[in-house]
Amino acid sequence: MAENMTDAEIKKDRMRFTKNKLSSGLILGAVAVNALYFVSIYGSDVGNYYYTLFIGVSIVYDLVFMLLAFLSAEGVKVYKMSYSAVAVLLGVLQAGRIFYIPMKAYHAPNPTADTAVPTVMSAGQFGYVSACLGVSALMLICAGVIGIVRTRTLNEYQAALVKQKHGGADDERA
Amino acid sequence: MSELKLQHLEKIYDNKVQAVFDFDLDVKQGELIVIVGPSGCGKSTTLRMVAGLEDITSGKLIIDGKDVTQMPPKSRDIAMVFQNYALYGHMTVYENMAFSLMLRKENKNVIHQKVLAAAEILDLTDQLNKKPAQLSGGQRQRVAMGRAIVRTPKVFLFDEPLSNLDAKLRAATRREILLLHKRLGATMLYVTHDQTEALTLADRIVCMSMGRIRQTGTPLELYDEPADLFVAGFIGLPPMNFFDVAIKGGQAVNVGFCAELTAEETELLKGYEGKTVTLGVRPENIVRGGNITVDVVSNENLGQSTLVNGTVGSQKITCKFRDWCRYRYSDKVQVSFGKKHFFDKETTNAIR
Repeated sequence: MAENMTDAEIKKDRMRFTKNKLSSGLILGAVAVNALYFVSIYGSDVGNYYYTLFIGVSIVYDLVFMLLAFLSAEGVKVYKMSYSAVAVLLGVLQAGRIFYIPMKAYHAPNPTADTAVPTVMSAGQFGYVSACLGVSALMLICAGVIGIVRTRTLNEYQAALVKQKHGGADDERA
Repeated sequence: MSELKLQHLEKIYDNKVQAVFDFDLDVKQGELIVIVGPSGCGKSTTLRMVAGLEDITSGKLIIDGKDVTQMPPKSRDIAMVFQNYALYGHMTVYENMAFSLMLRKENKNVIHQKVLAAAEILDLTDQLNKKPAQLSGGQRQRVAMGRAIVRTPKVFLFDEPLSNLDAKLRAATRREILLLHKRLGATMLYVTHDQTEALTLADRIVCMSMGRIRQTGTPLELYDEPADLFVAGFIGLPPMNFFDVAIKGGQAVNVGFCAELTAEETELLKGYEGKTVTLGVRPENIVRGGNITVDVVSNENLGQSTLVNGTVGSQKITCKFRDWCRYRYSDKVQVSFGKKHFFDKETTNAIR
């Protein structure tokens, strides 16, 4: 069967038996990079400054984010369209988080009146956590988009196979 | 397809136990050789030496004219199928079959083609996305074979691949191996303790005992012309009946019977006149009617035949009759011997 296929067709056919490890890996990578973000946030004075409902929600969000990301990684691996969409959504939310704690802390005046660091979050930390969230967001969006493209390709290929099979059966009957 | 030469292979373990003695065998291209023998006779050790899983103490192993005695297993281009399948439980059937090729860093499209082709041969196409735990024993063994096929090795080695399967599945998988051999035309070395497998699969059988080759030949040769008492007793089910007989004036005389010898047999045993030899008769070569009286002990109906176990004098005998018999304990049956085999009492070799 595979002998008569072109390379492009074989690549599609391979997807029937191989997992989308690229998307899954990207999502797990995004979780790891997100971990760098929250370690930086909660290990700094920013955490103390925002130690209110504000930071509590952030912690809960991180837990939910990790759960959804892991689920999404597993779903994307087996070409589930909905999980690819979840990955994209998580990526968008991750990008939005830059404007939540980091941006606010970066612009808020330092209550300890430390002249060396005039804002709650230093420029350096702001750059670092923004980069973490940005990279994490990018990885999630890429994973989701790759997942959507591959899932669609696989679905179309499988539909064509089914059609071909039924077509073949009709021909035989005729 | 490749030629395989095992030249005087010997295996001595570190504790000085010698498992294989002077194993010498030439396997032709595309031949299916079955090494058969009881447990502990050295057949698996021989196979493992060929695979490179055991060091060869002395002798040479030559594949396609190349001495591979000192080569590591991966360089020998040999694929082995194990009794316990040795599949990766966390991988799908497809991944299991593709794994060795992925390690070789072959092109993914080529791997895909090879795996699909092997799956088609083994009727595993619908199982490719399943994990080994979701498969039956026979299917798992086919996956193990598929893993070997995709590598297109020079030689296939099978180490009791059907031992974990139930009787029905064993027969079916045996037929599949035979078809596979015909289809691939590959050189295969197959180890088993089951003589039925050996007789049905082999182009040639190597019968081993105590680390030594006792006889090499076609299934018919081993069945019809066993070289010694061991081979005669090992090949054939139920096993051959043996009696000590004295050769006297064209007769084989035993405490329980006196069997007439044919002119051919008399000529053959000319040098044994007055001496004691071992007479072997296969149960299926015993026919009803004659001057030998069997005291029936048990009657086993197998459907297409009946096994009648009994005694002749004080010696046990098993007869295989083609029809459905209803003998009872202590019934007497008159029989005669058809084809007889004679073995030297001292050397245990066949008298020819």
